Amino acid sequence: MRSADYLRLTLSSLKSSRMRAGLTILGIAIGICAVVLLTTLGEGLRLYVLENFSQFGSRIIAINPGKSQTGGTGGLLASTRPLLVEDAWSLQQLPYVEYVVPVVQGSGAIEYGNRVRYTDIIGSGSDMAPAWRFEVAQGRSLPDGRNGYPQPWAVLGHKVKQELFAEKSALGQFIRVGGERYRVVGIMAEKGQMLGFDLDDIVYIPVERALSLFNRTGVMEIDVTYRPGTTAQEMAERVRQRLIARHGVEDFSLVTQDEMLQSLDRILAILTVAIGGLGGISLVVGAIGIVTIMVTTVHERRAEIGLFRAIGATRRQVMWLFLGEAILLALIGGLVGILISGLALGLLALAMPDLPIQLDPFYLLLALLLSALVGLISGVLPARRAAGLNPVLALQSE
Amino acid sequence: MRSPDLLRFNLRLLTGQWFRTLMTLLATAVGVAAVLLLTGMGEGARRFVLEEFNLLGNDVLIVLPGRKETTGGIPPLTGEGTRDLTLADAEAVLKLPGVRAVAPLVVGLTQAEAAGRNREQMVVGTSLEFFRIRQLGAAQGRLLPELPLDRAEAVCVIGSDVRRALFDQQPVLGRWLRTGDRRCRIIGVLEDRGVSFGTDMKDTVIIPVASAQQLFNTQGLFRLFVQVRHLDLIDSLKPEILDLIQARHQGERDITLISQDSLLGVFDDVLQLLTLAVGAIAAISLVVAGILIMNITLISVSQRTPEIGLLKALGASERQVHRLFLSEALMMTLIGAALGVVIGYTLLWTGHWLWPQFPVSVPLWALAGAVLLALAVALMFAWLPARKAARLPPVLALKGITDA
Repeated sequence: MRSADYLRLTLSSLKSSRMRAGLTILGIAIGICAVVLLTTLGEGLRLYVLENFSQFGSRIIAINPGKSQTGGTGGLLASTRPLLVEDAWSLQQLPYVEYVVPVVQGSGAIEYGNRVRYTDIIGSGSDMAPAWRFEVAQGRSLPDGRNGYPQPWAVLGHKVKQELFAEKSALGQFIRVGGERYRVVGIMAEKGQMLGFDLDDIVYIPVERALSLFNRTGVMEIDVTYRPGTTAQEMAERVRQRLIARHGVEDFSLVTQDEMLQSLDRILAILTVAIGGLGGISLVVGAIGIVTIMVTTVHERRAEIGLFRAIGATRRQVMWLFLGEAILLALIGGLVGILISGLALGLLALAMPDLPIQLDPFYLLLALLLSALVGLISGVLPARRAAGLNPVLALQSE
Repeated sequence: MRSPDLLRFNLRLLTGQWFRTLMTLLATAVGVAAVLLLTGMGEGARRFVLEEFNLLGNDVLIVLPGRKETTGGIPPLTGEGTRDLTLADAEAVLKLPGVRAVAPLVVGLTQAEAAGRNREQMVVGTSLEFFRIRQLGAAQGRLLPELPLDRAEAVCVIGSDVRRALFDQQPVLGRWLRTGDRRCRIIGVLEDRGVSFGTDMKDTVIIPVASAQQLFNTQGLFRLFVQVRHLDLIDSLKPEILDLIQARHQGERDITLISQDSLLGVFDDVLQLLTLAVGAIAAISLVVAGILIMNITLISVSQRTPEIGLLKALGASERQVHRLFLSEALMMTLIGAALGVVIGYTLLWTGHWLWPQFPVSVPLWALAGAVLLALAVALMFAWLPARKAARLPPVLALKGITDA
């Protein structure tokens, strides 16, 4: 039998029981739709989170006080072995280092005239804006602390500026940060939120002054960015050696952006697969549907099969006929499912333009393959039943 | 037809087409079991988290130095304010009527040395009340002595992990432990208790708060726990504490007050939503099972057309025929759902048996929801085919012609 004949026979049998085939296809379509939608959403979430993290650039090493056994909270705690601002500046001389950003974070009152706003205060250095890829909208960045104690200058986040000054010009005005007088030298461009943290509701002051304001000796984190031409591991090793030379022991922990993104990526990828697996339950139920319907079909068409065998069709041909029908059912179901999910995702993309959703052709192909596989597996039992029928008895059943 | 007749009739039918029945049962059972299993796991995760974090008791308020005006955002967890929260503040809060106890907290990292070994160690400076608030007991020796808050003393209580890392199995009570540039005598070992707010108490050295202030050269507290005398007092005490600290801080309201409930509330909401979402995803498979039921009922109707014709010729009304097919679908679903409940619970209890620390319990809404949804879906999808059967003209049906 030619393959075109196989197709024609199968199609005609599907057409003759349109309602039944339609419902079976619908079952598979819902299953495929669930899998495609859920994995695409998971993938979108993964990209969204990664994008959020990599907006600071990819060549960053973060150094925190305390070994990793404290779970990364070391920066928040007091310490007898703090990371000093001097440690940070000493890293500047290492080869390939581009920017060094010491960070201290706290909160306090910001006053201008009789307006007060309690918000986050970040102590940092002049490299902060370029290293984190923050744009200064007006004025300049923080003063440099490497040439002596920095002037009392502050840079305002967009929201703080709006709250304190509204539409007035803030540059050159004096504000009070935790009771100390600062001159506003710059305004940050609007940045939005990052994972629930408002990046616009922050006041930036020089790190040396922030340490004395919060009465601390050590910084909470040092971010180092490096130029291309070296690897993350090599760079981390250089930083590690330099800090060990200064501290005597390794009492800090290093995380490269690569490592962080990788572990994040892994977690989110596992999550996506797990969610897709949940959607797969529906596919299993859909497969059970194909088995049931196909077995019924085989039972109903016993006489036909008997005739088939009587005029010389082999067992193998009969088996392929029914297997083909099952696969065709599942494939059509898969196509319909992909169409429905494409439609749903299109609507979702209109509703939430922020989430990077894209239908990857590779995954679509995978979904189709999956549906064909479902058809194949669920077709085996009915097809074998059909092939195993005794032709004489089958003919007699009419 | 009487109900027992209906039941007998259906049962014979279902056993007659045993393969088809079995597969439909399986489909429904998979759907129901999936809903139960997933919501059960989600609920288990929620309880696990709540139990882990619930060690503090809900009559405890946490005071953080620093304040942020943005509502709904992350509280100022760094613990750095422009003005320190001091021991004097803690004592003032303790004098408020309605406050049962306060436990100041200074937390830091230092190098700990004992018996020739050293490791980086988290050191917690606090008072005896802390152990009561956190419901921590001593496995060996005793807890910190009752001291005035501002009195330092060279004693410490260590967690079980610290003991294992520094001393192995040797006796530890009465031995010296060096933390940073001073040393303390070990007077007790903590009993093993869970993690709370990301701090594993098993891996800490606990010393009097004044000693910690000296060790880390700091005035400010990292946190202040306030336990109220009675749960009802929490809401009235919040503004009182805020006002008191504001008065002590030259009129500046620069602290944040959070209760465990508000912290756990966020977790609870998120986890509940997750459970709901996962349950809903599993419920999709019930819809697919419903489609299968519709298909089966359709086939059943077309196969039994002559039978229907006979029934109607004998005087069965449209309603009776309708009910016949509906009840067949419902019975199938009911048995399938029961099977699913059994499978779901079996799997959950097997899981619980393998990991006893993980609590499993299926929320009632999920159990009822899954079974009801299965029945509703069956009813909905079987309605059309059943009506088709009911409306068959008896004469044609007797001849086996479905489409009049």
